[in-house]
Amino acid sequence: MVHNFKTDLTVDWCPGCGDFGIVTSITQALAELNLDPRGVVAVSGIGCSGKTPHYLNIAGAHTLHGRSIPYATGVKLSNPKLKVIVTGGDGDMLSIGAGHFVAEGRRNSGLTIMVYDNEVYGLTKGQAAPTMSLGEQTKSLTKANIFGKLNPIALALSAGYSMVARGFSFDMKQLKEIIKTAINHEGSSVIDILQPCPTYNNINTMEWYKQRVYKLEDDKSWNPIITPEDSAEISGQKFASAMTKALEWGDKIPTGIFYQNKAIPPFTKRLAKNVPNYLEVTPAEQRVSTPDGYTVVDPKQTFADKIIV
Amino acid sequence: MKTVDISITIGGPQGGGIDTSSNMISRAFAYSGYNVFGVREYHSNIKGRHSYTHLRVKKERPRSLKYPLDFLVALDPDTIFEHIEDVGKGTRIIYDNSIEKSDLSQARMIMKDTSERIRQELEHSGEQMTVAGTISLMKKKGGIAIPVPFSDIVQKAISGGVPSRYYNTLGAALTLAISGVDVKFLEESIRFVFSSKEKVVEENVSVVKAAYDYCQENKFRTDNLEEIKRSPRFLLTGNDGAAIGKIMGGLRFQTYYPITPASDESTIIEEHEDLKWIESENSKLAKSGIAVVQTEDEISAIAMASGAAITGARSSTATSGPGFSLMAEAISFAGIDEIPIVITLYQRGGPSTGLPTRNGQSDLLFALNTGHGEFPRMVISSGDVEECIYDSMNALNYAQRYQLPVIHLIDKNLANTSDFIPEIDSKRVKVPQVARIVHSPEWRRYSLNTNTGISEFGVFGKDIFWMTGDEHDELGHVTEDSELRDKMMVKRFHKLEVADSEIPLSERAILYGPESADVTFVTWGSQKGPILDVMEILGKEGKKCNLLYLKMFQPFPSEFVSGILSKAKMIIDVESNMLGQAANVIKLNTGIDITRRILKYNGRHMTEDEILDATRTIMGTSQKKIEVVLKHGA
Repeated sequence: MVHNFKTDLTVDWCPGCGDFGIVTSITQALAELNLDPRGVVAVSGIGCSGKTPHYLNIAGAHTLHGRSIPYATGVKLSNPKLKVIVTGGDGDMLSIGAGHFVAEGRRNSGLTIMVYDNEVYGLTKGQAAPTMSLGEQTKSLTKANIFGKLNPIALALSAGYSMVARGFSFDMKQLKEIIKTAINHEGSSVIDILQPCPTYNNINTMEWYKQRVYKLEDDKSWNPIITPEDSAEISGQKFASAMTKALEWGDKIPTGIFYQNKAIPPFTKRLAKNVPNYLEVTPAEQRVSTPDGYTVVDPKQTFADKIIV
Repeated sequence: MKTVDISITIGGPQGGGIDTSSNMISRAFAYSGYNVFGVREYHSNIKGRHSYTHLRVKKERPRSLKYPLDFLVALDPDTIFEHIEDVGKGTRIIYDNSIEKSDLSQARMIMKDTSERIRQELEHSGEQMTVAGTISLMKKKGGIAIPVPFSDIVQKAISGGVPSRYYNTLGAALTLAISGVDVKFLEESIRFVFSSKEKVVEENVSVVKAAYDYCQENKFRTDNLEEIKRSPRFLLTGNDGAAIGKIMGGLRFQTYYPITPASDESTIIEEHEDLKWIESENSKLAKSGIAVVQTEDEISAIAMASGAAITGARSSTATSGPGFSLMAEAISFAGIDEIPIVITLYQRGGPSTGLPTRNGQSDLLFALNTGHGEFPRMVISSGDVEECIYDSMNALNYAQRYQLPVIHLIDKNLANTSDFIPEIDSKRVKVPQVARIVHSPEWRRYSLNTNTGISEFGVFGKDIFWMTGDEHDELGHVTEDSELRDKMMVKRFHKLEVADSEIPLSERAILYGPESADVTFVTWGSQKGPILDVMEILGKEGKKCNLLYLKMFQPFPSEFVSGILSKAKMIIDVESNMLGQAANVIKLNTGIDITRRILKYNGRHMTEDEILDATRTIMGTSQKKIEVVLKHGA
């Protein structure tokens, strides 16, 4: 029987919310990849985006505001055999969780991170999120936004994420393909997903985005992939092109894969160099107990350096 | 022959090899068959400020430290200035004779207020503001000055190099020579300490020989130390104990963010992550190790360990006050989502950064109340290095059995205590395996159909279920249903009642000494050792004492504690904090108000002599409400 990756829970997002397109893209991607539903885990933080795991028929943790990345990293590093997807809002990921967002770029644990980017904090009635432009005044703001706009793509690239992409929640075909590539990518990926908040963001509407987005892959010469065979010079050029595209915003907004570096080893492989059989017998799967119920560790041998004779 | 009971303090600038020096001394006494107990004191500083180790050597295992010292070994002028109070009748003060002219005002690394206090004391005693003046004051207190030409001895022993680099070895050698420890034992220590570095071993051994020769040539009065048959023992700190307990207790995932004095534990686990399995298991089970991950902050540390726990890996993190404060929200999450997680909390002097490298027991009430909302947790505490081992194993077991956060309190004093442990018993505490199975579709992670409140555990990777910080239904989906909310709250708290009924009293509160006594001490953490020693001394004087020693604060063994304290004639609470936090917990749980208290919050370790004096004060007064605040410590 084909697994239904969607639960039967009532979805309580507002009509017209971009989140619907994201959930559909995720479930389609999981189905098309034909993944074992017990081999995928979804982790989220707080906010509208945080509800996502409940709508996915896979193991899911709806954790703390801003902390989805560390919870997800714990799942991934204790059982590297699992595929771990992370869903979070722009505030969740880039404001309260910004430290973890940057740290995960350095780790490259192998998470698929989706940033639901609608420029507002929806669930708390529309305050400005870090991706809102300076001077913008959406309808729920009493005054125009006096913060500058954070660039999620440029931040993800400089943090060291080995795959960085942007999708648009109303282009589910492209988004689904990006998610599939990201899930299969060994290192950590960030997908910045543009989406309207129909209730609180009356500026960046579906129409507003539709008029501006274009696909990087429509340019047949666009090749964001770095392989272990590529020279440092080629890799550098590809990173620079990604960064240049990252800075594009306004009348034209690029979507698609900006950067995918297959040459950077994921954190799990780095850890495997220190911990014997880490990838084969993961921390989650290890025996800790002998058949008669005692420790498997021999204290005299393991702590021989502490013995004084 | 006189009973061997030697107290030693060796001090010098941080980064000057004090650790190595005390390691040499401890090992040499160990090789002679003796037991050594010690505590490290240091500033929040990398190089230059005063640090020292306080040691006690006995035939039986010492369990506390005391003043006055038998030896004060000063590798620099600061050590002389800082330790005036530790000197008494017969204290031998070993120091470099070239520092005699050093002036207090030049000792810039001494804290301003400390320096001013020393100045006043010297002035009051009519002494010069120099090392010589201080030595003169120490002599008035009964100290015996042993000035030694440090530089000359080193220069005779080795050619070239900076002599002061060998002062730590020289200090250790002089102490051991005068104590009557055979030079061969110190050589053996040096070979161990510098193991692979042959040239370093050679140089240090020749410094040692020169020191022994110097003592002989100058006819120093040396003690006779009977050599005892030595036996293998583990030389462990509290940090070691906790690390070892976790490793034996099945820990497979440890996270941490650097903080004193907690991060040593994680480093020790990382050093030993390549586990040696017991022989009979080697062939049958795949060998594997522990993943230790340094995180970006403490919020990440607890979140990551929690994430690992829900895949079935036994997980923990270790931190101190400031980091623990950051973990509060995630502890609340672990409470509502029933995540088995251990947080080892190394207490230091707070609040805020407080005394970052000094002792404290001021986080008990916080540990009992960390995190918003009401949820079950367990709070346990260790009082010596051995307890650190087995309590850490039990902590992992409790977390798994009751599916909740377990906070394990260890004070800085204990973390930095070094002790000789005869053996590590791998059969004292059982280590149950986490069941990793695929449950039937009817299984519910948060099933209410339980007699214990404990629902059957499932793991990510095997089962499909959900977790949320919101109140949830049996599947783990968000609910705001009023009735279900009540049921879930009751189910979670039921686990604590079950823990209360299942866990043996011996793991929770222990009565040392006779049932009925003139004085009943109450304490927790690292004061256990010194109080037991005080009880022995008072016992010899015909005063009957007992000690109610607390190990588990949640669930609290109220009935047992109440039973003992309601019969007690005179209760004295002993804690390293200002508010008497354990006494407050006792009052909350039993209604018994302990009004006689010995408290210390200057960040330094409590010693046998201080507790003894304070106890005599309390016993000698008719005052029913009395608080003695201990002040000692450089």
